[in-house]
Formats: sequence, structure tokens, C-alpha cells
Amino acid sequence: MLKRDHQVVLPTQARAPGFRVELRGTTFRLVATGAWTVAEAAKLDAALKRLRVPIPPTPDFTGEMDIAGIAEIDTAGALLLQRTAAAWEKSGLRTRYAGATEGFRVLIEEVQRRSRAERPKLEKPSALKQFTADMTTALTGVASDAVQLTAFLGEVTSAFFRLFRQPWRFRTTSFVHHLDHAGFRAVPIIALICFLIGAVVMQQGVVQLRPFGAEPFAVNMVAILALREVGILLTAIMVAGRSGSAFTAEIGSMKMREEIDAMRTLGIDPMDTLVLPRVLALVVALPLLTFLGDIMGLAGGGLMAFAVLGLDTSNYLDKLHEAIDFQDFVAGIIKAPFAAGIIGLVGCLEGMKVEGSAESLGKHVTSAVVKAIFLVIILDAVFAMFLSGIGV
Amino acid sequence: MIVENGREVVIRVRGLAKRFGSQQIWDGLNLDVYRGEILAIVGGSGQGKSVLMRVITGLIRPEAGDVSLFGHNAKTLLPQDRLDIEKRWGILFQDGALFSSLTVLQNIQVPMREHLELPQAMMDDFAFLKLTMVGLPPSAAHKFPSELSGGMRKRAGLARALALDPEIVFLDEPTAGLDPIGASDFDHLIRKLQQTLGLTVYMVTHDLDTIFTVCDRVAVLADKKIVRTGSPTELQRHPNHPWIEEYFCGERARAASPGQRARIPA
Repeated sequence: MLKRDHQVVLPTQARAPGFRVELRGTTFRLVATGAWTVAEAAKLDAALKRLRVPIPPTPDFTGEMDIAGIAEIDTAGALLLQRTAAAWEKSGLRTRYAGATEGFRVLIEEVQRRSRAERPKLEKPSALKQFTADMTTALTGVASDAVQLTAFLGEVTSAFFRLFRQPWRFRTTSFVHHLDHAGFRAVPIIALICFLIGAVVMQQGVVQLRPFGAEPFAVNMVAILALREVGILLTAIMVAGRSGSAFTAEIGSMKMREEIDAMRTLGIDPMDTLVLPRVLALVVALPLLTFLGDIMGLAGGGLMAFAVLGLDTSNYLDKLHEAIDFQDFVAGIIKAPFAAGIIGLVGCLEGMKVEGSAESLGKHVTSAVVKAIFLVIILDAVFAMFLSGIGV
Repeated sequence: MIVENGREVVIRVRGLAKRFGSQQIWDGLNLDVYRGEILAIVGGSGQGKSVLMRVITGLIRPEAGDVSLFGHNAKTLLPQDRLDIEKRWGILFQDGALFSSLTVLQNIQVPMREHLELPQAMMDDFAFLKLTMVGLPPSAAHKFPSELSGGMRKRAGLARALALDPEIVFLDEPTAGLDPIGASDFDHLIRKLQQTLGLTVYMVTHDLDTIFTVCDRVAVLADKKIVRTGSPTELQRHPNHPWIEEYFCGERARAASPGQRARIPA
């Protein structure tokens, strides 16, 4: 803000802003006083809008903005004055400023010049148009995702088979690192979750089956459910949330900082160094984790069976023996490597799609988790149909 | 109001101390910023130039020392008074720090929305005015920050800093990352705005060209304090300190100094 006396030493208490309009001879004068600053702009704006634009009776009438009484002014005040002056000019009054200091004059002239700039109109498409456009992008997005994922699967597969010819390309350190991160470090959380879900399903099963006198069959239900569905699904979803997102974030941030481009120019294939170790580590880790999940689910069920049915360990194991056989276990665990492949591929592919900004990274991490979980569930459904088709 | 040598001191820093971990970055730092000047803070990396700006603006708390803002001690300010003071300054962060979910125009209106009650049409008027004042094309108004170049983001950040017509603006490395033409344009812009709006400018910079073309005074951070202040030419003529000598009398400084090029008239 500009003050009338720029180097003033004593604090000037600026008076409240105001103005009045008077006619002196053939000159309409707007006499402005006080502080015309952005803090007072709303009040000034309302008052100025109420002001009627004077209509000159003859063409030799002029206008004058007398700002000698203004103590402080900033761009907001200058813009308001400018707007009023422009309205007066439009009604045929040649308007000039009086009583401006050098600083005020510079500011007002600058505002005058700038406020003439053309403003672009904000184009808002109609709701229907917007809706169709959104739907089109969403649908074509699904199609292009499918194409990209298939292409990526092909790339990874070819890189994998190249390993047999050139085994030295395999990054053992990286593979072990990811095995540790995606596999071993996921053990506690997956064990805990499967244990709890096993216990909850057993307890609910007993409660629901009791009216039919069928509560011993809760054990069968839990056993089959844990081995065929819950173990693999829970583990895959947990791993998608834990490791799929981590893959996207790691590869995505490398992409953001142009590390991937640097690799390519140095003759290093990101497929070999980044994607394959991650996907392979997950393909190894997920069946192991699923096995752990199965066992923990059964253990949780066992605990609850003891608590609500009074079955001790040997009775529980006997009942398990009757309820399930090896086929049930295989029907669950066979899905694990496929789910691992999906999670790894989606995680790495989304990472590769990250562009320069952090927002893009966040978006792709989210979509990696969502897509991976969605595809894992689709895979599960396909397997369920296939396995019941072949009678397993 | 603090007055010294007939000039108003808008910001006074006394006896500031700050350490990060085991590293003491300043001990007894003093600095005055006078109304209406363009002050550059220079210093080697790790001397805490940006940290000083953050301490003055209240983002970081110092271990010891006082900061007075427009004559009020920052430590004893009530929240309401602090808010009033925050309306009187604008800050341009290094990469503009624009809110990525808002358009440029909405970004400029954020301070107005937060601190004032203005009708929307008026906020649009003011925001467009600020937008053109910092030299952005009107077509940039409805773009998102991610659609702008680095230089444009800085200008938009400056427009937001100027939204409430502040008395002082803090600029953190305003010309870093700009090409020489963009940087020189920015120098002119700063001088022009400083003159039109009667601003006080506090800038952290490395750019010798900026220092020699627009800065009135330079404060040098070294040895855990402000070792010297003075006009750029004064410091170049009589460095009296090894770091200043290296900085102001090195090859780059000689190439940038006013002997070779014209200063933007104050």
C-alpha cells in the first residue's frame, strides 16, 4: 500500500475511507478521502455501486477524481477509482485525476493499463457433454488398460525366458531384497489377520448353525473356506495393499526423477533390474504367505472351536481330517502364483506410467491397489468356475 | 514503529540463535530491514538463508533471540494480532507453492477469501489485475499449476503473494531455475512492482545478476551471523571478509557487476 507521505516517521492514523460527489462549475468531482485499501474495498465497492453516474447536460462538462484527501491507496483502491472513472468516461465526461502524488499516479496509471486486458471466458461444458466425455474416457481407459497390461505381461514373460539363455542377467540381490520386503516382513500382519478371520468365521458359524443343531459342521465350513478362499484372498489383498502399492511408489518415484531414463541410456533394461525381481519375488512369496494364511486361519478356527464348541486339539484335528482333503488345499494355493503375477505386473506397470508430478504418483499408487484387488477377485471367480467345472 | 537513521525498520532481528541437531547455524544474528528497500540475503549453502526467512515469517522457532515485525515482538503477539500482521506480508516460495487443486485465479484469491469478505466479482477483478501485473497472460487464469512452466508458476506465486497488497514480500530464490531472459524479466518485474506498490522486498538469492541489477542492500550470512550489510558495489569494493571477497570479486561477480551492465534505475 502507498502512503501519502512515504517516509513519514509518525504513524498516521488513516481515516475511514469515503467519498462525495459535487458539481463545481462544469466539473463533476468525486472527492475521495481516507484509506482506499483492499481491507475497505467491500464497503467502498457497495457505496460506489449505489452512486449514479452523472449525465453531462452539455458536452463541455468534465469529470475529476480528486484524491488529494486520500491518505493510503493500494491496487484495490486504484481499481475502484479506475472503474468509476471509466464509467464516467463512458457517459461522456472527460475524467482526470487531481491531487495525486507521484507514487499514486504511477500506481493508478499501472492499474489503468492493466485493467484494459482482455479476459478469457471460462468455458464450462454442459453437464450432459461432460458426462459423455467422462464415460468415454472411463471406458476407453478400461480398454487401453487391458491392452497395456497384456503387452506388459508379454514383455515380462519374454524377459523371463531370456533369463534361461542369459542367466547372468538375473538380479539376485534385488530378488532377495524384495523377497524379504514383500514376503518375510508381511508374515506378522498376514498371520494375525488370517488368525482373527478364522476365529471370527468359526464363532459366527457356530452361532448361525446352532438353531439347526448343526454347529459341529462349522468346523467343516471354516476348514473349506480357509483353504479354498479366505487364505488366498486375504493374503493377496493384503499383499496388493502392502507390496503392490510399494512397487508403484518405488518405480514411480524413480520415473519421476528420470532414473528410469538414465538406466535406459546406460544400457540397463528396467525390465531386468526393476520389474522381474519384483514380480518373481512376489510369485515365490505369495504361495508361501498363502500357506501361512491357511494354517493361521485353521488355527484361529481351532481356538474358537475350543472356546465355543469345547473341541480340544486332537478332536479338532480329527474333524479337519474328515472335512478336507489335499484337493481343497491345492484348489486354494494354486491361485497364489497367478494372483502374485497380477499384483506384481499391475504394481510395476502403474509405476512405469507415473509422470513428472507427485499428484500423478499418488494417483497411480491408488489405481495400482484398486486394479490389483479387482483383478485378483476376478481371477478368484474364474478359478472357482474352472475348478468346479473339472470337479475339484 | 522503530526508526533508525530516519528510516522505518519494518523487521528487526536481534540475537537470533538456531541449531539443527549438533550443528549451530547462527549465534547472535542481527538484521534490520528498512521500509521501501530491496534487501538480498546471500551466503554459502548451509548458512541458513532460507531458514532465516522461515524464522522471520514464524514457520520455524529460533532457540534464542527476538524478531520484531512492524514494531511488534513476534514472541508476545496474540493470535489475532499475528493474523493482522500476516495480512501485511506476502511470501513467494521457491517453486511458487501454488495449491495444485486450484486454478491460478483461485490461487490468487485464496488470501482474499481467507482474510476479507469481498464479493466474488470483485475478487475476480482484483485477481485478474494481479495476474496481469506480474506479467502473466490472461489465458493463464483458468489453468492449473501443473499446466504452467516454472517461470509462470513463480509469477503466479508472486501474484498470490501480492493478493492483499502487502507492505513487504519475501522471495525465496526468485530467479533460481529460470533462464537468463526469464530471470532478467523477473528482476525488472520486482523493481517495477516495488516502485508501483511501494513494497519492501526481502529476498534470498544466489543470483549475482539480480543482486547487482535490483538490490539496494545486501546482507551477508557467514560465520553464524550477518557479517556485513551494504550496497552491492560497496561490498565489492571493500569486501573485508574472505567469503565476501570470493563471492563479490570472483569471475562471475566481475562479469555481473555494474561496470559491465546497467542497473535498473531505482
